[in-house]
Amino acid sequence: MGFQKFARGTAAMALVMGAATAAQAEPLKIALVETLSGPQASTGLLYRDAVKYQIGKINEAGGFGGEPIELLEFDNQGGPVGAADRVRAAISEGATVILQGSSSAVAGQVTEDVRKYNLRNAGNEVIYINLGGEAMELTGSKCHYYHFRTSPNAAIRVNTLLDGMKEADVLGDNVYAMNQNYSWGVDVQDNTVAAADRLGFTVVEQTLHDVNKIQDFSPYVQRIQAADADTVITGNWSNDLLLLMKAASGAGIDARFGTAFLDQPGNIGNAGAVAEGHFLSAPFNPEVNPEETAPFMEDYKSVTGHYPSYVEPATVFGMMLLQEALKEVEPTENGLNAADLAVALENATAETPMGTISMRGADHQAILPMIVQEVSLDAQYKADDTEYGFVPIKVISAADAEQPVQDSCQMKRPG
Amino acid sequence: MDQILFALLNGTIYGLLLFMVSAGLTLIFGMMGVLNFAHASFYMLGAYFAYTLQPLTGFWLAIILAPILVMGVGILVERFILRHVHEHGHAHELLVTFGLSVVIAEMIKMVYGKFAVDYRVPAELNFAAFSLSGIDYPFYRLFMGGIAVVMFIAIYLLLTKTRVGIVVRSAIYRPQMVEALGHNVPMVFMGVFGIGAALAGLAGAVAGAFYTTNPNMALELGVMVFVVVVVGGLGSMGGAMAASLLIGITNSLAVGSDFRIADILILIGMGGWAEEIGGLLTMRMSSLAATLPFFIMLLVLVLRPSGLMGEKE
Repeated sequence: MGFQKFARGTAAMALVMGAATAAQAEPLKIALVETLSGPQASTGLLYRDAVKYQIGKINEAGGFGGEPIELLEFDNQGGPVGAADRVRAAISEGATVILQGSSSAVAGQVTEDVRKYNLRNAGNEVIYINLGGEAMELTGSKCHYYHFRTSPNAAIRVNTLLDGMKEADVLGDNVYAMNQNYSWGVDVQDNTVAAADRLGFTVVEQTLHDVNKIQDFSPYVQRIQAADADTVITGNWSNDLLLLMKAASGAGIDARFGTAFLDQPGNIGNAGAVAEGHFLSAPFNPEVNPEETAPFMEDYKSVTGHYPSYVEPATVFGMMLLQEALKEVEPTENGLNAADLAVALENATAETPMGTISMRGADHQAILPMIVQEVSLDAQYKADDTEYGFVPIKVISAADAEQPVQDSCQMKRPG
Repeated sequence: MDQILFALLNGTIYGLLLFMVSAGLTLIFGMMGVLNFAHASFYMLGAYFAYTLQPLTGFWLAIILAPILVMGVGILVERFILRHVHEHGHAHELLVTFGLSVVIAEMIKMVYGKFAVDYRVPAELNFAAFSLSGIDYPFYRLFMGGIAVVMFIAIYLLLTKTRVGIVVRSAIYRPQMVEALGHNVPMVFMGVFGIGAALAGLAGAVAGAFYTTNPNMALELGVMVFVVVVVGGLGSMGGAMAASLLIGITNSLAVGSDFRIADILILIGMGGWAEEIGGLLTMRMSSLAATLPFFIMLLVLVLRPSGLMGEKE
């Protein structure tokens, strides 16, 4: 008797609960598939901070379809294999949007997995928002309709950097291209060589080296010196950048470095005076548009505990694009329809402290302003508790920073 | 000519650094038969301890105290962890040291953060020793090389010329006999482990300032150190020195070289074919430089499995 009553009660409860969920739209699930543990986790954790920050903002403003957005975190452990597995897990847990940023190698895997999944599950697609994989192939030969890149790419980085350095009259005639031997490094090298005629410099030598395996860069520095380079353009990041700069400074070489990732936390702290005078092209600088940027800096710090740097600002801006796109989409009874969101994202623009950023429909590459900056004692916001920081030299508008769509991008559109 | 001279010098100094770390590893292996996966972690600890001490004690005292602290950690590890695991066999010891390396890396991240810290060469040591065809040679590199050489001589003399050395060496071959003669063999092992750790700590304290002190440094150097020890022959101090120099110098020369396999094939008239195939045949030596040590290891393992100077098993 007792059991029967209990069973009947439970069944009734289940019915009521079932009805309640059916009436409400499913909350939107966004999955962050990043490197959250292991040696490369430092960058992955920055992506997480930035994503959490902006999703918090979106949820404060009402979330999606009246429900807060749910952020799922998956640790890809730094490699494409882990990422493939985690992307599957994310999709099976109901994520409609997948976010990932660190490493073009991982991005290449994720974008292929998403493309294949969408082929097999028409009508039930997922969207991949690439927050930081900057290799050209991701919006070139590997481009597809459900991939969106919100960060700059190698062509944008290198051309804005070279333009800014040329205009500041620090580029010199002899440029050395020193890069890591994988998709991103090769792209930086190719774009440096391609810009030589336009800007009137000579690429005296090109070197590709192993990624994050080299302790001693002095033999490479010797080559820079032998080539009589005025400027070294490098896409190197992390230790490969630090050790290269330190070895060059130790050898007394005064070649100036033009970099893409000098603002990674720890770099300025470790290099100290060695970094002074080196250049960086990045989508953010805290001294540009101070009346809008300063409140953003302080707000970000109050939420996450630190000022935004490195990949964080661009990630926040990318999430702003997603926020604007979500405003244009109506939830269906099954939650978000990815095809609707893709249409909205293609046409999205967002107002950021750095200016307007927008998504280009032809290859799904974000068009965004870039700031060419120099490491200097005069910076208002110091990096890594040192006396150095980044001073903006030239703000390049989104229109000027834009690079042409690659011919290799054959995007198949639905319908 | 100057180029080659620089490449040789760079390679030698890098080789000497590798020796500083691998010396302790090979010493411990020779003595206790334990392949210590956590060895490169002692190198990292040395760098972080010196970084922490430097503001309090100054650079010189920091690079003396840091290895002593690392020795303390090493002794604790041997006394309270390895000794208990020893009776269960080598596989268990291997796993324990591997786990230890992960624990140390995570603890460093918790205490010092995930990014590189600003441990740098002090200003008074940061000058050029000499200058050749426009390139300065940093004095600090010579300083690192000097320390490694002094270390090699000191260990060599200690092991071959002193009473302590005799006890240590006999404890490897006939531990029971040495014990019967009244020597405390567990104590000897503990001391050897401590000294091995201290050597790695010293290398870290000195090299951490020149390269970077970050939570991945153990991982970055660790692999290379194992290559050195395998190529040199497990347990052989002289072998470790020879292998370190071999790897350092080939690496440095390879970076400066634009040699391609296709260049040889041109000589026998197959250049066109090689260019067509591309891939490995047209890859420049300079972009393969960091892979060469592994190639050397492969060769050694195939041709002389006990290593350059290892004893035949």
